[in-house]
Amino acid sequence: MSWHVEPTHLLAYVDGNVDHATAASIEAHVIACADCRGLLAPAVDRERLDRVWAEVVDTVDAPAVGVVERLLRRLGLRDADARLLAATPSLRLSWFAAVIGVLAFGVLAAHAGGNGDSAFLLVAPVVPVVGVAAAFGPGMDPAYEIAVAAPYRALRLLLARTVAVVASSLLLGGLATALTPISGWAAVAWLVPALAMTSVTLALATRWEPLHAAGAVTSAWFVLVLADARAAQSRAVVAEPGVQLAFVIAAAVALAVLAARRSTFETGSTR
Amino acid sequence: MDPRTDAEALEAVATDDRDALRVLYDRHAPWLVLRLRRRCGDPDLVDEVVQDTFVAVWRSAKSYHGAGDVGAWIWGIGVRRLIDHLRRTPAPTAELEEPRTAAASAEEEALRGVEYGDVGVALGRLSPELRAVVQATVLDGLTTREASKLLRIPSGTVKTRMMRARAQLREELV
Repeated sequence: MSWHVEPTHLLAYVDGNVDHATAASIEAHVIACADCRGLLAPAVDRERLDRVWAEVVDTVDAPAVGVVERLLRRLGLRDADARLLAATPSLRLSWFAAVIGVLAFGVLAAHAGGNGDSAFLLVAPVVPVVGVAAAFGPGMDPAYEIAVAAPYRALRLLLARTVAVVASSLLLGGLATALTPISGWAAVAWLVPALAMTSVTLALATRWEPLHAAGAVTSAWFVLVLADARAAQSRAVVAEPGVQLAFVIAAAVALAVLAARRSTFETGSTR
Repeated sequence: MDPRTDAEALEAVATDDRDALRVLYDRHAPWLVLRLRRRCGDPDLVDEVVQDTFVAVWRSAKSYHGAGDVGAWIWGIGVRRLIDHLRRTPAPTAELEEPRTAAASAEEEALRGVEYGDVGVALGRLSPELRAVVQATVLDGLTTREASKLLRIPSGTVKTRMMRARAQLREELV
């Protein structure tokens, strides 16, 4: 390119002492002319450019933010909380895929007739229990040791993850229920056992590893529902008011135990 | 000095070459700072926009298809980032810069007008409101909607001001 901006005009442009037409013509030229760009470069403070560059590198180096974390930030969570929640093993997309797979079988079973309803009611409440158990503790959480050492209350982390896992599990469970032919009261009968078993698992986790606690609780649940499905040809006994009340009481007791023993989480000894 | 052209450097950036990004940054960050400074009075905001722009260059280098100057492509990103930032910050902190040329005397203005010919003079005679619209749409290459966000006026107003500016320029030049 043979035409170039006069150096005096470039200086005036840098100082903001040119009219709009000149500025526009300089800007249009500079965009395409490496020589004139080079002349402009010294006009900007080197230290300032280096500072901005350091920030560019920081941002570029930061690990990519996953779908779950972006969603949580969109919901208004602070970045640190969003990161801690997104690191939850049972809030990963692969986990959700597995949950959807399990629930899909439950839905298919419910459509198959017979004791299919019971099969769905067997599976649906287990999802949040296992999810919560996998959300913390030395067995599953890859950031467990960091979390124990961090100046962040373990109970707060535990409860935040529990709420997130339970909410997402109930959402998926609810969607799955809508796809089954189960109607009326029985369709929501799994909610109370789900919450009760989650609470009991948390209470037991103050003493044992969360996954072991979840294993014990879900085993007990399987025995209860399968025995019932064998005995009664009618609706699952789980949906009966007396049984539901029993689950509510169990949940209350479990939450009381959890509140009393909450300090065990802070020391990291969930064994 | 890196021997690569801008386009080659950008191609390298697309393959996660950090040095190539540094080359582009050294070549293009300074004028971007200066050009943004004429459109936004807040230096911190300008720095943030420059930072965002080069992060975007890093992430979307693959989407550059070799059409037009790399500089123009970078400016396209930069000016849109500026709009995004202005939309998020409250209005009074960052406005389109009013001409610092106010300091220049009337004679100087007139002399420059002679120097740069009719278009420059005609452009200079536009009211700041009309000129801002011409600058945003014609010179910065923004769409009506983007210009309306940048200038914080409704798109309808951008259109009517553009029409008035065109009419005035035509009257003075023909």
